[in-house]
Amino acid sequence: MRLILLIAWRNILRHRGKSLVIGAILFLGALLMTVGNGVISGMAAGVEKNIVNGFMGDLVLISDKQKSDNILFEMMGAAIEPVSNYKAIKEILQKQEFVDRFLPVGKNLAMVLKEDEATPSGAYLLGVDFSDYRKMFPDNFKLIEGRWPRPGERSLLAPAFARQQFYDFANLWLVPEGGGKPLEPWPKEVVGNLKNVTVSTNIVMMGMASDVNTTTDIRFPVVGVVKFGALNKIFGHFCLVDIESYRECLGYFTASNKAVEVPKEEKRLLDMGGNDLDSLFGSAPLVVSNARSSGSKPPSGATSPLTLSLSKGEPSAPANVEDGVYNLVFIKLKPGVPYREALSRLNRALADGKTGIRAIPWNKASGPIGSMALIIKSALFIFVTLLFCVAIIIIVNTLTMAALERTSELGMMRAVGARKSFIGGMFLGETAILSALFGGAGLLTGILAVKLIPLFKITSDNDMVQILYGGDVFHPLLAAPDIVLSLFQLAAVTVFAAVYPMSVARGITPLDAISKD
Amino acid sequence: MNIIEIRGLKKDYPLGDTLVNALRGVDVTVESGEFMSIVGPSGSGKTTLLNVIGCIDFATEGSVQIGGREITAMNDRQITDLRLHKIGFIFQTFNLIPVLDVVENVEFPLLLMKSLSRSEIRKRADRLIAEVGLQSFAKHRPSELSGGQRQRVAIARALVTNPDIVLADEPTANLDSVTGASILELMKDMNTQEKTTFVFSTHDANVLKYARRIVKIHDGLISPN
Repeated sequence: MRLILLIAWRNILRHRGKSLVIGAILFLGALLMTVGNGVISGMAAGVEKNIVNGFMGDLVLISDKQKSDNILFEMMGAAIEPVSNYKAIKEILQKQEFVDRFLPVGKNLAMVLKEDEATPSGAYLLGVDFSDYRKMFPDNFKLIEGRWPRPGERSLLAPAFARQQFYDFANLWLVPEGGGKPLEPWPKEVVGNLKNVTVSTNIVMMGMASDVNTTTDIRFPVVGVVKFGALNKIFGHFCLVDIESYRECLGYFTASNKAVEVPKEEKRLLDMGGNDLDSLFGSAPLVVSNARSSGSKPPSGATSPLTLSLSKGEPSAPANVEDGVYNLVFIKLKPGVPYREALSRLNRALADGKTGIRAIPWNKASGPIGSMALIIKSALFIFVTLLFCVAIIIIVNTLTMAALERTSELGMMRAVGARKSFIGGMFLGETAILSALFGGAGLLTGILAVKLIPLFKITSDNDMVQILYGGDVFHPLLAAPDIVLSLFQLAAVTVFAAVYPMSVARGITPLDAISKD
Repeated sequence: MNIIEIRGLKKDYPLGDTLVNALRGVDVTVESGEFMSIVGPSGSGKTTLLNVIGCIDFATEGSVQIGGREITAMNDRQITDLRLHKIGFIFQTFNLIPVLDVVENVEFPLLLMKSLSRSEIRKRADRLIAEVGLQSFAKHRPSELSGGQRQRVAIARALVTNPDIVLADEPTANLDSVTGASILELMKDMNTQEKTTFVFSTHDANVLKYARRIVKIHDGLISPN
């Protein structure tokens, strides 16, 4: 071994030009591999951080009737199936030791109604218990205007991105009740156009669920404007509303009604109008009246006989909010719990409990976002693999040429008594030394680069780039397994690059050497 | 005792569409300790014969025994080991390992053998280097040596394993006459001292006077004396 390495090392020094070419390729390859692995890991960690910790948890429970697992941005606004047996689900979840937290939510599309807009725009509603939501996702967004909703308060938290969308498509600028100085200035285009825009402290929405086809209009008082820490243009589509208002808007029975959906017959009754619809709901807490707008320019649509106006700060006080209908349950797992195992165990428990509910992982639930992350990750992996291939091809070519140029020397070694394994080992040794020196240097430079890149605070507002970044700041990340992966990849390049030249060198016979001379 | 025994050796080379009969039925025996020269004009088959004896090339037909062992039936590994332990080579073009210095080049076959300690290897290499008169060049690389010095290193390397046979293919072809003569003197001395069998090829009449036995080859056949 010592002799092999001695000859290999001296051959590297003797053929400095070729060694430098191979070394440079290995250096660049290792550098890009390491940074690439860092980007992939950073992206995976960032996406997990932002989606799992900031939006939907590790697992999501959906109804078995739900056709598509994509519950984030479902195609053509297809409705999310209702989940009416949350209490039974809750009991099952509480028994699972791997579950850290869970949060039932309503999630569906609603139409924004405004009397002076011919084409209504849409918005996603996320019906939640605000205090539970804050406990589940404590740092995912910040309040930039207004205040947090009070417990049980009928209200809406508008993401800054959704507010901009309302401005762009409905000429509506939402401001929180009570005003207050915004933490972030309004866009200049809005400030300069306030006279021509409807400035309102509430918004009227009509839920859109495919089975229910409700015509119930709900006026949501806006209490605050929030901004997500990352992926604001993705998560910012979702207006957070209290769960009871959400249920009413979507035509689901509220908690006190303990029913799944408003039957179509009853919806027809609702459509007939009237000022005393309370009787239809028994002790329902809703107050039906002509809509009142507290905005500066009340929409004439507020006179719709079926607009349910949610009185300011009035607690809904349902019998038990958990009795009502949800659409999803977000679940966070305890740290270190493998999600596949948890998924399997949870689905077994849900099936045993005959809940009609199934659990899906976050990347399936987040649909195109999860897929996009996977696609980008795969693309990066393919890029790194292609890089390997190019590096391998160049190294193979250079080493093969070196082997053929050294036919006399290698043939003479064989004539003197060197076995094929010695010749092969010598070539592998040369490649291994070059890999260790130049590849090692590339790897260390890559690690340094991954550590330094976050210091530059490279940011982007672009959604796709944010998915690549795993947030709004480019933050590649290298953990020990990533470094081991890079080392493994480097070793693989070394072995693959040496195989063919080795076989060429091993095939050189003493006769070849004599013939060449 | 015959160290080399060749019977009915034929060697054919394909050359384009034709088949070249380099050896056409060679019968020759070499006794242990001989200092024998194979002579003949260019293309007569002497190098081919040396290559077959040295297990560098393979017979198309016939029997080749080295030290009583038939080499035509051996696999690559057996042949490599035979070359390492039984045969020493001196090539026309010196063929030293360029990245090793003189002493390392001489040690090379012993290091491959892995049968001696590091100190024994060095001791034996130093002795051989001294015998070929290159003590002061022990740490020089081949590129720093003259042709004659390189050939001396090759001789030391060929002898360092105490082989039964040393094969030398035109060892003086690339040397001036004075250097060539000194190399042949050295080989003859080694033959006398070490009792090693030397078989060398040449087409130089001046070289022949050193040989104790001359085998003439012509058109792939041994010519009668």
